[in-house]
Parts: sequence; C-alpha cells; structure tokens
Amino acid sequence: MSRSKKKRIGRIFLMLAMICMCMLSIFPYLWMVLVSVKERVLVYQPEVWFFTPTFENYKTIFQVHDLGTYMVNSAIVAVANCVVSLVLGSLTAYSLARHSFRRKESFSFFMTFIRILPAVASVIPVFVIAASLQVLDTHGLLIAVYMLFNIPFTVLMMRGFFEEIPREVEEAAMIDGCSTVQALLRVVIPLAMPGIVATAIFCIINAWNEFVYAMQLTTFSASTVPTIVQLFKTVTGVVWGEMSAVGTISTLPVLVFAMLVQKQMVRGLSFGAVKD
Amino acid sequence: MGRNIKIRPANPWLRKHPWAPYIFPTAAVMLLLFVVPILFVFVISLTNYRLGAEFSQVSFLGFSNFLRLFSGEESGFYYSIGISVLFMVLGTAIQLVLGMICALLLNHEFKGKSIVIACLIVPIAMTPSIVSQIWKLMFHGEFGVINYFLKAVGGQGVQWLDANHAFLSVLIATVWQYTPFVTLMLYAGLRSLPESPYESAVLDGANQWQLFRYITLPLMKNLIALCALLRSIDMLKTFDIPYVLTQGGPGNVTRFLGLKIYDTGFGEQNFVGRASAMAVILIILVSLISLILFQVMNKSRES
Repeated sequence: MSRSKKKRIGRIFLMLAMICMCMLSIFPYLWMVLVSVKERVLVYQPEVWFFTPTFENYKTIFQVHDLGTYMVNSAIVAVANCVVSLVLGSLTAYSLARHSFRRKESFSFFMTFIRILPAVASVIPVFVIAASLQVLDTHGLLIAVYMLFNIPFTVLMMRGFFEEIPREVEEAAMIDGCSTVQALLRVVIPLAMPGIVATAIFCIINAWNEFVYAMQLTTFSASTVPTIVQLFKTVTGVVWGEMSAVGTISTLPVLVFAMLVQKQMVRGLSFGAVKD
Repeated sequence: MGRNIKIRPANPWLRKHPWAPYIFPTAAVMLLLFVVPILFVFVISLTNYRLGAEFSQVSFLGFSNFLRLFSGEESGFYYSIGISVLFMVLGTAIQLVLGMICALLLNHEFKGKSIVIACLIVPIAMTPSIVSQIWKLMFHGEFGVINYFLKAVGGQGVQWLDANHAFLSVLIATVWQYTPFVTLMLYAGLRSLPESPYESAVLDGANQWQLFRYITLPLMKNLIALCALLRSIDMLKTFDIPYVLTQGGPGNVTRFLGLKIYDTGFGEQNFVGRASAMAVILIILVSLISLILFQVMNKSRES
C-alpha cells in the first residue's frame, strides 16, 4: 500500500473516531432535549423521532416547580463560592510557587489529600454544627462548605500557572517601585488570568453540580438545582418530560460559560505536572 | 532604594515568614472544614448518637460500632466494601485507558477540533444527579433508547437495571460522565510535552509504539498518576450516580459504601453512630489508596 493511501485511511479512521466521540458525549443531552419537548405518551416511544414539539414541560417547571428560584440559588452559591475560593486558593498557590518554607511540600500534599473526605461522612458533623448555629438552609452555609473542595482544586491548578510566570517579571516591577502587593495585583494576576478563568469554570461546575451537601443542608430557600431530582420522583414514577426540561435548562448557563473559555480550560488541565 | 525599605513589612516575624499571610487564611478554612468534621466523625463513631437525639441520651460505646462491622453483624458491609473497591479499580482503569486513547487521537492536527472539545465539555458540565435520571430512562428495559438501538442493529434488549446489569449500568454512566475530564487532562499534558526527544528518536528509527512507550509514557507519568489519584478517590466515594440511578438496588446489588453510609445515617433508622463508623472505614480506605498513589508520584518525580 502506498504511503499516501495509508495516510488517507488513517485520516478517515481519525475522523470516524472523532465523530463517535462527539456523538457519545452529547447523546444523553440531545436525548434529554428531545424528551423534554415530547408529549407524555411519546416519552415511552423511543422510535418516534419526528413529532410536533410541546413546551408544556417548560411552562410547568417554571410555573409549578419554581425552577427559577433553584437556578438563582445555584448561581448565588456557585459564583460567591467561586470568588472566595479563587482569592484564598490563588494566594496559597502563589505562595507555594514563590516562597520556600519548611514543610511546604507536606502542606501541598495535605491540600490534595483533603479530597479524600467523603461528603456523606462530613455532612453529618456539618449538619449538626450548622443546626446549632441556626444557619441551615442558607446560601452562606453552602458557600462556606463548598470551599472544602474548591480551594484545594484552585491551589492544585493555579500553582502550575504561577510557576510558569518568571520571577524576573515581578522583580522588575518591584525595582520600578511596586510593592509586593502591587506587583501581585498589577503584574502577576494579569499574567495568570488564563489560569484563573479556567479554574473559575471548574469551581463553578463543581459547586453548581454538588448534590449531597445541597440535599442535606437545604430544604427550600437555599436549595440548588441538583436537589430538584427529589421533586420528580413521584409515586407514579419519574415525570420524565419535566425532569428533562429541568436538565436542559439548568445545564445551559454552565455549558455556555464553558464553551466561551474552552481554550483556557484545556490549557490549565496539565496541572504543571509535565515537565522536562 | 529607600522606597524599597519602607514597603517591607514592619513586623519582623512577618519579614522572616513572608508566606504566612498567603497560607494562613486557607489553612484556617481547611482546619474548620476538614479537620473539625473528621474529628467529629471519629468521636461520633464511638457513640450511639442518632440524628435529632438529645445529647443527654448519647452514650459512649467504645469500639463496639466497629466490632459490629467487622464481626459481620451489619449485613452487606463487606459486600459494600468489595463492590466499591471493584468499582474504583475498574472505573479508574477504564477511564484512564479510554481517556488516553481519546487524548492521543485528539492530539493530531485536524479541522474542527474545537467542536470535538466542545462536545467533550458537555458531560463535564452536566449535573450527575440530573443526568442519572436521564440514564435511567435511556436504560429502561422496555422503552429505553439504548435497547431501541440494540434491537435496531439486530441485537437483543438488555434489562439494564436488573440485578445482573445494575453494576454495569452505574459503571457506564460514570465512565461517560468522567472520561472527558481525563481526556482533556491527558490532552493538555500531551500538548505541553517537549519536542526534542521525539525528533532524535525518529532519527534513530523508532516507530509510533516505541515513541509512545519510551518517551510519552515516562514524561506523562506524573500527570497520569495525578489523574489516577483524583479519579480513584472520587470513584471510591461514588454517590450521586448510583443514588439516583439504582438507589443501591435491586436489593443491595449496587449499595456502594457511600450509599450504605447514607442509608444507615439518614435512612429510616438514623443510626448516625453506626454510619460514622462506616465513614471512618471509608476515610481510612481512601487515605490508604491516595497515600500509595502519592508514593508512586514522588518516586517518579525523583527518578
């Protein structure tokens, strides 16, 4: 077989593999969108692909189930938590990249190790403590609790970014009369911006999708979107159409944000772990 | 120069420990959110505490909650550990291998790559608890779309959520949800590999497999270990997907350790003490596994 022919077959194989990958990745979402616009009887007929769409389900989830409130709660919790986690986590990551001190690597290890704590375990103490402080079912509680996984994630991701920024840039700024804090704010942070954006989207995804704490620590006024699955488990079975409509809408904000920052998102994910 | 001296921290201790203001806030938060709950769980695991009970009714039991677990009195405890570990090993391995294959394919230059990456982001962004409901509908034996496809290509329908297949279904949904993250992580790593070792190896006549085996893999070892670490921790703690997809059933077939803890502590009985004892075991298990993987990472960093 000639070389160019072999190459062309390789191309075709690659394209087919990519198409498969795309289809497999998005199929559940597409199916969810399809089910969300089906009449109730059609939900149980997967062979029907063409039909007049109905938007009843969307009406119901906003008017009856108050999806809007859940979305607002999720947005408040995710954004506020993301900001706090980014500020605290980035400071720590910066220090791990720049300063040297005793037990630095142990501390860094500990930050990753925090991930071992299962939510089903820590939710018990958190519940008891929050109940005695009377902060159950508040946004503040979830914002605080989600720092447990978002700060370590920020530290892990941002350290790699800060290590890539040469020290000389900062030193030059300091010689020009910047203080340490000014150098950080005016030089380092702007240079680390791609990393911050990438970290932000993952923090938001983590907080937006978190289930165990949200389910146990909220009842209504701070309930986030993932807890909504509880509502659709009726005695007669799951209300698939409405459930799908919820899924379609609630994924959109995160999805759109993620698509916008696609490039940065991928870059940061090597966590600075590949070095020559 | 005079200006430089002025902006130095006045506090001599702070001048000696410039890292302190960066580290302490995070350390304090982690102390509150990690150390306090973990100690709390350890203490509760030694008592007969039940949710909503008055503190005066709580009594100290010593290690009897643990003895109960180890003696096999708590039915299905060993089974839960067994399937959780199996799930972790299988799930992590499949995600790593699939993720690596996808990342290597993605690392070629072709048009429309950003579309492929956009598609990969969809599972990452979707809420596990909600998407598991959709999986439940898709897995449905009679009117699920997966069986519809299987029958359309001449295959037979599978009862995906019965006792024989429930574990597999949870695994499929989990692999679908998390493999794209592994793919993007490894792809990001492949992008940042240096070019020079490849150039000289190609001159020496190395083939594709040799390039992968002797250059890519060793360079990526750290990242792969990190990936394995993150994934196996999460797999062992798995909760959302089986909780919605199978509720641990049918029977107890998919009652992973996380679900078992949840049912004991928050189910009808509210045996928080007993649930905490199981949680302690889970914490020890996850810690052991991550310590082993950390060792692997440190070794590869030294070499």
